[in-house]
Amino acid sequence: MEGRPEDDSDLFSRAKRGDKAAYEEIVQRYQQVAFRTAYMITSSAAEAEEAAQDGFVKAFRALNRFRAGANPRPWLLRIVANEARNRVRSVQRRHGLELRVAQGFRPGDAAPSPETAAVAAEDRTRLLRLVNGLSGEDRLVVTARYFLELSSEETAAALGIPEGTVKSRLSRALARLRSRYEEAPDA
Amino acid sequence: MPDLEQQLIALGKEVEWPPTPNIRIRAVVRVPWYQSRWALAAAAVVLALAALAVYTPTRTAIAGWVNVHVLFQRVPLLPTPSPRPFGPLGERLGLGQPTTLAEAQSLLTWRITVPSSLGQPDEVYLQLPPTGAAQGEVTLVYSKRPSTPIANQTGVAVLVTEARGAVNKDLFAKMLGGGTTIEPVTVAGHQGYWVAGSPHIFIFLDADGNFRDETMRLATNTLILDDGGTIVRIEGNVTKAQAVQIATSLG
Repeated sequence: MEGRPEDDSDLFSRAKRGDKAAYEEIVQRYQQVAFRTAYMITSSAAEAEEAAQDGFVKAFRALNRFRAGANPRPWLLRIVANEARNRVRSVQRRHGLELRVAQGFRPGDAAPSPETAAVAAEDRTRLLRLVNGLSGEDRLVVTARYFLELSSEETAAALGIPEGTVKSRLSRALARLRSRYEEAPDA
Repeated sequence: MPDLEQQLIALGKEVEWPPTPNIRIRAVVRVPWYQSRWALAAAAVVLALAALAVYTPTRTAIAGWVNVHVLFQRVPLLPTPSPRPFGPLGERLGLGQPTTLAEAQSLLTWRITVPSSLGQPDEVYLQLPPTGAAQGEVTLVYSKRPSTPIANQTGVAVLVTEARGAVNKDLFAKMLGGGTTIEPVTVAGHQGYWVAGSPHIFIFLDADGNFRDETMRLATNTLILDDGGTIVRIEGNVTKAQAVQIATSLG
């Protein structure tokens, strides 16, 4: 078993028994998705960091309430997302997340021809512009499901809505995106 | 267009995110913003002063702010507590271990009072120090009672919590938003407060006065009384008159 990463539920069991090293490992594993989930909600890196920090603190203190055998990811994301929402409310900020396409090639990509790369980049930028132009609710559900690749259960936990609402909202958002993509090809 | 979902997933891999900060284990000992005792203490003073302005209470009533061993804080917007985990009521609400009245009484140095208007409780929970108050706390659960609707916040009709602690320590903390009212009351000579209106945030404190933030939750209408050193907290979707009637029947 040497070299095999420890299972999440084993880590949580150890952390519940007060093993801080296990919790440190949990923080390492989840900090990126927790931070990005908080960023998706706050649109501010500084507040997302605070929300993730406070969320991990609350989760640590609530470990004894975590049901053994349950999936820890939605539980953690729900706590962090709650912290993020509290911060958004406390500063009365309107949601204004504007994501951008990163510059440069992804590691491991085969180098495309300049023409192909230009068309692909244009397509990506256009699609992202359409996502950014969705309503706050639709943008959040698309970002959570496709950009953060959260499961339906995790998306529901992060957005504080039932899983059925995630599915209906996502279906509606995709229909809108598809229609706008086809309606305004040069938008 | 090509499969939109596939396109979105591919696009997601190219979205620019801010660099993920390194969240260190020091976070575990960081104090969340709402737990700053200085902030709460300052807010409690502000609330007491606000009460002076609104209710112009007597000196005795002002003393009551301290006597009920509750740290009050007025906040413009309530934080959203983490959802309570599924499980037995005692675990969900952080009430302690299930027990019986007789067993709880045998472990405490002070007398548990039972409201005769509600009858015998359906469940009894006991929380001992260090997790509970310094001299322990008992919660009597009334699952269903005629003319008392089940409260969304607790899942039962009425909760009666009785606790005793050190004279200089608080037992509970409450955060009140704009839609929650608070007024001093006197029941059978005992000073207390009636908190009503929009749900407020309720948190248990441990024997040292530390927040047990896993117990942070929304609470409905609550009457808090200092019954000769025992702090009695009655929570339920009840009117002030009903709460006072329950309190009057404690014996």
